[in-house]
Amino acid sequence: MDKHAPPRIFTLQPSSGVPIYRQLIEQVRRMVASGQLAPGAELPSVREISAEYSVNPTTISKAYGLLEAEGLLQRNRGKPMTIPAGRRNLGALSARLKQVEPQVDALVLAARQLELGADELTSLIVRKMGDHS
Amino acid sequence: MSDAVVSASHLGKAIQGNAILRDISVNATAGNVVGVIGKNGAGKTTLLELLLGFSPPTSGSSTLFGHPSLTLPASIKQRIGFVPQQDELVSYITGAQQLALTGSLYPHWNRALIDRLSRTWEVPLGQRTETLSAGERQKLSTLLALGHEPQLLVLDEPVSSLDPIARRQFLQQLLEIATDESRTVLFSTHIVSDLERVANQIWIVREGAIVWHGDLDSLKESVVRVSIRAHTTLPDSLGIMNALTCRADATRATVVVSDWHADAAGDLARRLDADIEVENLSLEDIFVELHA
Repeated sequence: MDKHAPPRIFTLQPSSGVPIYRQLIEQVRRMVASGQLAPGAELPSVREISAEYSVNPTTISKAYGLLEAEGLLQRNRGKPMTIPAGRRNLGALSARLKQVEPQVDALVLAARQLELGADELTSLIVRKMGDHS
Repeated sequence: MSDAVVSASHLGKAIQGNAILRDISVNATAGNVVGVIGKNGAGKTTLLELLLGFSPPTSGSSTLFGHPSLTLPASIKQRIGFVPQQDELVSYITGAQQLALTGSLYPHWNRALIDRLSRTWEVPLGQRTETLSAGERQKLSTLLALGHEPQLLVLDEPVSSLDPIARRQFLQQLLEIATDESRTVLFSTHIVSDLERVANQIWIVREGAIVWHGDLDSLKESVVRVSIRAHTTLPDSLGIMNALTCRADATRATVVVSDWHADAAGDLARRLDADIEVENLSLEDIFVELHA
């Protein structure tokens, strides 16, 4: 094996029930959030990941495409994808809302089980968000 | 679909009155690696053979690059590579001679690619083919199908005789082909772990019929195990659409659902007055559930 190859940055498990593209998206999101991938950092190409991890390239392209739409990755012509500079690169409102939807679903489910109404829940959310802004 | 590289429409095959394949309608387009998965005897080999035009269907039809499988012009055949389950190596010649022989049949033959792969895959080209091991024969047989760089590569159980290292090397080669978006790979296997790596689309064959076809990602996202814990007694019929298997007692149930949508959980929780937990399944689990 090539001793000069860079260490692997992702952990992809093809046999998991979670599709590979979603594993990759989650890991990039986490690494960006934790600062492991700082603005300007370059990501390996689709072809490199496909060869390194022996996984189908279209699933990698799909992950990169979705991350780009989210604003978390920047496509550069003929060069590696990078983490965009600046913290305001959040992506479209609808995309961000979609990201939080699973948590909202869970919240709504719990609220129903506790017989909480929309008004009570909304005022709680407003108060919580006020605390943190 | 006009841009389909492989297309089957209501394809069926019966031999002496026994239905081997029933009403198969599928497509494969360029840039995809399609894994055909099924138990032994499910009809995978027969399906590939019908698609390639090796035998006539009893009903329905199929095309490759838009041409009927049974009457493919030579120009189309040049664009196809096939690795059969039972190799067709000539026994009294060496591997090198076999490669030269096959190469001479094609106007285009990538000698450099074949030289590189035979070194990486450690195929003893100097030996007469009848002295090769099953794995070496399989590798040589694959090289014969790759040399003319086909636009469509069809492989029937390509890794069955390969050890894990050789299998991984072989999969790497398939992936290299897959990065070229103009090419298509169709391969049958019963080794689920290989398929999960290289295939982006999947056809599941069960008892001669296609029980699922589409993106591997969508399959993993749509087939889930739903655990239900009700606060009161569950009704006799849970009324869950597309349930594959269901185990239930008075207040708890586990249901595998084939066409799940994220918003179904809330509806179900309300309707059954229950806590719902949804779990993704591995392809192997899904395969087993689809055969339950």
